[in-house]
This record gives sequence, structure tokens and C-alpha cells, in this order.
Amino acid sequence: MRRHITYTAVIFIILLTFPAGLRGQAKGAFEVYRMPELSSGSDDMAPVIMSDGILFCSNRKVNPFLTKKNLEGIRLYGLYFAPFNEEGKPGKPVLFAPNLAKDANIGPASVTSDGNTLYFTRNYLEGKKLKKTDSNKLGIFTAKRNGSQWTDIQPFEYNDPAYNLSYPFVSADGRYLFFSSDMPGTLGKYDIFMCENADGKWTKPVNLGNTVNSEAAELYPFLHSSGRLYFASDRPGGFGGLDIWYTRLAFGSWTRPVLLDEPINSKADDFAFYAVQGSYEGYFSSNRRKDGDDIYRFATTIIRWSVCDTLKKNNYCYEFIDENALKNDTMDTKFRWEWTFGDGAKADGVTSEHCYTGPGVYDISLDIVNLITGGIEKRQASYQLEITDVEQPVISSPDMIKAGEALVLNAAETNLPGMDVARYYWNFGDETASSGLEVSKVYTLPGKYNIQLIVSSKPGAGGVVREVCVCKDIEVTANGN
Amino acid sequence: MRETRFIHIFILILLLAFPFRVNSQEVPGPDENIPFLITFGPEGRVTSWGDDDFSQTFFFTIPKDYKDPFYIRIYDADIGGKTDELNNFWDTRMQYSVYGGKGCYTDPDAKGINPTGNYKSGTLLATRTFGMDNKLDERWFTFGPFNPADGEYYPKFSSNVFKIICDGISGDDGNLYKYFLSRRPDANVPIQGANAFTYEYTFRMWNNNDTSFVSHIYPYIDSGCIYIKQRNFDWDNDGDFVVVSVERKGQSLPLSGEDQWTESRMPILDAEIGKSLDFRFYKKKGDLVKNNNVVISVENQYGENLQFFSAPIGGVPVYKPRIKVIPKK
Repeated sequence: MRRHITYTAVIFIILLTFPAGLRGQAKGAFEVYRMPELSSGSDDMAPVIMSDGILFCSNRKVNPFLTKKNLEGIRLYGLYFAPFNEEGKPGKPVLFAPNLAKDANIGPASVTSDGNTLYFTRNYLEGKKLKKTDSNKLGIFTAKRNGSQWTDIQPFEYNDPAYNLSYPFVSADGRYLFFSSDMPGTLGKYDIFMCENADGKWTKPVNLGNTVNSEAAELYPFLHSSGRLYFASDRPGGFGGLDIWYTRLAFGSWTRPVLLDEPINSKADDFAFYAVQGSYEGYFSSNRRKDGDDIYRFATTIIRWSVCDTLKKNNYCYEFIDENALKNDTMDTKFRWEWTFGDGAKADGVTSEHCYTGPGVYDISLDIVNLITGGIEKRQASYQLEITDVEQPVISSPDMIKAGEALVLNAAETNLPGMDVARYYWNFGDETASSGLEVSKVYTLPGKYNIQLIVSSKPGAGGVVREVCVCKDIEVTANGN
Repeated sequence: MRETRFIHIFILILLLAFPFRVNSQEVPGPDENIPFLITFGPEGRVTSWGDDDFSQTFFFTIPKDYKDPFYIRIYDADIGGKTDELNNFWDTRMQYSVYGGKGCYTDPDAKGINPTGNYKSGTLLATRTFGMDNKLDERWFTFGPFNPADGEYYPKFSSNVFKIICDGISGDDGNLYKYFLSRRPDANVPIQGANAFTYEYTFRMWNNNDTSFVSHIYPYIDSGCIYIKQRNFDWDNDGDFVVVSVERKGQSLPLSGEDQWTESRMPILDAEIGKSLDFRFYKKKGDLVKNNNVVISVENQYGENLQFFSAPIGGVPVYKPRIKVIPKK
């Protein structure tokens, strides 16, 4: 049973390779490992989390007596679901919703956040014998959850059998639908398009433009809760084959895509990036083992505290009040309060304000002048004020910088008495990190970045290491160049 | 509230009972820095000289444990000579009367500020009328001896209370004088623990145009006092009237003009309860207001007159600032 199946997925494009180049991301930001529990020895890819398990596609052999292949002799892709076990690890995969496709490729899918609607890729034609000259491209379809079944299969309203529409991704808020296509308006081989949900209807697809889309192929869009739109592309500038890039909206425009570093990307094909919303761990697919596509799990190795104190400003300004004098709210007095602040400064008033130049111990005294006689009652009250700097790591840096310019961050003003510092660790808020008393960082994309400075002590008694964290927001503005 | 009132009464009793704490029978008292009391003759009922009612009443309290005879001495009891105020010619007669016994203090009329009704309540123990008498000019005249037991025992003070009234009988001159409660007839020897007070003070300001001349009177603030109303008369706008207490520094109150009354209200702070206020009267700088005689009284929110003690209960109140330092945000 030969079928003419045109499955324009990654496996057809990965043969295109381009010179790779390294980008300025710190290495070692993530650790990755292959997931044997999802691997079959065939092609396994494009995992997404769906309620209590992982949904992915695979062309694994499930029936030893029957193998359905496309016209090129490649087994058909199907959707598989691996439920999480009690330890949170995926269990044995089972075929998912066989009714979604009959004798057709069914591929990468996306589930709405309420878990009730499935967007998936499938050949337009199914259940038919095809000639070699037939065209059977990929379209996007939806299905509704009906108990444990998926029914009401509907084609995406902008499907056109003359073109491929594939790799749908629905944003977590249900507002946007991203997909890849070679439909009219495509700039390269495959471009990423976007539709917006308008009163339950998807607007006409819009090409994301030539900043995101290139003359090569852009596939597997995925919008993370951080605002980043990840995708795979075989455009020049990567490590080789398909690589994973990200872009994001800034001031109404998509920013120039940034290449993810090793070990997520490799010289092989790396694609179908999916991160758990709200975190930096997830899955992607790669054929780096040369034995087909495998699913990999990644997790950040960069230290980032979930709760980190905001950098506090040292306060040297105080208000001085004679509380007793304030009790007389209608007081018409014939006396004047004269404050001496202990640093040579003086001021008048029942209440007064003064800013010191720095920490120290200051003797404040209050004289009261009789305005009738001119007599001075010296030191009617006194107060010893001790001002100390906040005990914290200190981030010294500008609050704002342009994208592409070097931001110098310095921790020399750190005030942690009694702490023998072993390391100053900087998390730059973009999954990169560095260490040192003074570091430099170049942000390529505009936005607000939360920088953490984590100071660790040398091991003390019992080998205990003390760690303290402060954070500071840096505004990176667009560079006009 | 009731408990608080008892505490204040107890404190007052202690202050009145223990001689080492209160020891002033000189009227005006040394902390008051008032040169003289003054009472005018009533002829013509002319008040513009600085006396609203031609009569002045003072009370002396003698601790109940004091059993010896005592004397009430009057400085410059006559009307004439160097220290009195002449109006045309010396024709004024002044009567001093000492009262003891039941009702001399507790009769409601005795606690008034006007010489009306039964203000001469109690038992008359001694009386004498003076006119011009050179032998007494700037000298001490002595009433007594008196037996402390002849006073009216007042439990709240733990003291026997005597009353002395100076009434203008005739004429229109001003009588400047002082009192002293003494153990001896021929010298001013104080009785430990005794005190003196009045409800309406009529006195002479210093003849000076220097603001360093400050007179004081010390109204006692009893428990339950929410606000006070002060009334002053014929101050001739002579200087400044400010109030000082343990938590009040120099609140200004209005002074009256020539032959006029002025009054004002002032809320009382919690910390002022059970203590004395310091009413300070600063003389005006510049044009001298000469021979300025003035009248002042204070009442609480119930219309009850407050006592001015010659030796302030709780001592002279001293304002103490309390510094609070708040970091600016």
C-alpha cells in the first residue's frame, strides 16, 4: 500500500546545512539528556506537556505484522502519549487518539491551556490510496476533547491543500496561534505565521516578517511565558542543520533572532523546543545521535534564586521630631526648636530633616530658644544616632543601557561584615551568568532584565557556606543604530 | 477613670502631707516671682486700676500632724507709704479677717472667685482693719497665735485649712501686701508641709520693661480635667502669656487690655493631669506699663475653679522634649 505522502517536516529539511557560528551566550547554561523512556529507535520528536503526560509524535513500529509507510518508504508518523508516573517521569508511550488520522501522517500538536482543544498537523488526505503524482500536503486540524475521546475533527479555516500549514502552537492565553507554512506570502522555504483570536475566530494569518523569517525554513514556533518565541531554523549563522532560535516582541516589532547555545543546539538538527511555562526547563528534539530523532530534556544549570532581596538603598536622611511638641496641634508658641545634628549642621523647627553624607555615630541635641527673652535653653534633649550601611551585596551599575553596549557591574561596595567572600556570582536575567568582583555584560535585546548578585562565603565551621542574594532591574533600550 | 482619680488624690495627699516636698507659706511664693498681692478700696467701684472685686481670699493648709501654734503675718498691711498705690490721697481702709472651723473652706461660696454669698464662711478667728499707718509701712504685722485644730480639717489635703480675706472697706487706693504663714510671731519661719492657694489671683506685675522679669502662677490640674478656661482682667496687653508643662512648651494665650476681660480655652494633655501648669507672664519690652495690677482665674470644663498653689503641686513643671528620629523613605 503505497501512498504518496508529502510530509514536509523537519526530516526533509535537515539535509540543508549552513555554516555555523558561535554567539555570545555563556556556555553551560543548560544541561541536557536524552529521554530513553520516550525513545524507540525510530524518530521521536516534538513533545508537549498535556495535563498528566507528554504528547509527542513518532514513526515507531507498533505492529510487527503491519507497517504503513509513505511513498518514500518511511513509516507514518503518529501521536503518542506517555503519562507521568508517581515520580513525575513519563511512563510507557501509547498511541494517542487513533481516530485523528487514518493512514496519514499526524504530527506536532498543541493543546489549549484548558486541555479541551487539540491543534495538530496532519495530511490533508487520509484513508486513500495515492498515486505518486498526487499531492498530499500538511494542514492544521483541531479536535475537541469528549471525555477520554477526541472528536469533532475540523480543518483550520485557512488550510489550503495546495500549501503546507503545520506545527501549530496556541499561546497559553489562547490569543495567538503560530504555525509554519509555505503559503503565499512566504519569504523563504517555510515561514512562521501568526493569527489572532478575534471573538472566537482566527484572523487572517500574518507573516512575522523578514526579521524572524529568512530565506531558509522557520519551523516549530513556541511562545514561552517569558515572551520569547522559540523556533527552529536552518538559516545561516547556526551550529549546523536546524538550530533553535528565539525572538520576542519589543516596541511592536520582533527582535533579531538569538541563537541558543550549546548544548541545546549542536551541529545536528535541533528543533521542536518546548519549555515548561514559567520556568527554564523542558524538551527539544535532536538527531545528534545519528540514529534518528530523539527527545531530549533540558534544565538550566544557571543559579537563580527564586526569592532574592531587592537591592536596598543606603539611607542617610532622617526626620527629627520633638514628639511632645507635636501633641499640641494648635500650638502657637513663643519658642524655637534648634537642632544640632552632630555633623556641624543645624536646623530649626519642631520637626526637621537632615541628610548625612555617610554612616557614623552622630550626637543630636535640641536647644530651645525663648523668642520673648532671647534666652537659649541648651541641650533640652539629646539623641545618639548610629547610621550603618545596609548589610547586603551591592550591585553598582547604571540603571539603563542601550542594547549592544557593555554594561559593567561591580560588587566592590558589598557590605557583609564578617563574611569571607569566596565568590561573586552574577545571573544576568537572560539565562546567562558570570562570576567575579566586576563583570561586563552585553545585552542584545531591549527589555527589562533582573540581575541577581549571589555572594558566597568560604566554608566556615562545619563546612557551612553562607550565601546572600540581591537583585536589581536593568532597563535595556533599543540601540538606534 | 475612678481609679485614676484616686491615684491623683493620693498623690496630692502625699504632696500635701510630706513636709519635705512642699514648703512654702510665703504668698506670693518664691517660684511665682510676683512682687505683691494687691487689693483696692471699693469707692466708686473703679476696676480700671486692676482689681475687679476689691477683695482677695487665700487659704493656708497646715498638715494635720502639726500641732504647735502658728501665725499669719502680713507685710505692709497698711495703706499708704512707699509700697501702696496712691489715688489722690490716702483714704483707704482695708480689713483682714482670718477664718477657721467648719465651712471656712468647704462652703461653696468660699471657693468662688467673687466676694458674694457666704464667702466669709467659717469661724472668724481674728480680724483687723487698717488705714494709713506709718508704723506698719514695709513692716510685718502678725495675726495669732492660732491653734491648728481651729482650722477646717480637709481629708483630701490631710490638712487643716484656714482662710484669710482682705476686703477693701473704703477709699480707692491700692493696697500692696504679702502674707507669710509662720511658726513664730516675730520672724518668718515656715511650717514644713504647709502651703497656700487661691482661686482668683490679683497681683502687681513688676515695674519693669524687661522681658526677663517673668511672673508665674501654677494652676493644679486635677483628674478628669479635659480642658481649662482661663480668664484674665486688665492686663493692659503687657507682654506675653505663655503656658509651659511637662509636655507643652510655650503655648501662647491671650492677654486682656485695659479694664477688660479676656478668656480662652485650652485642652489638657494626659501627661498634665495630676501636675501643675506653669502660667508665665513676661513683661512687655519697650514702653513701660507701670503699676500694672492684674487678675486671673481658671476653671475646668465643669465650671469648677482651679487652685493656684504658691508652692506648685508636683514642683515647677519642666518641659522635656522627646526626640524621635525617623528614617526618610
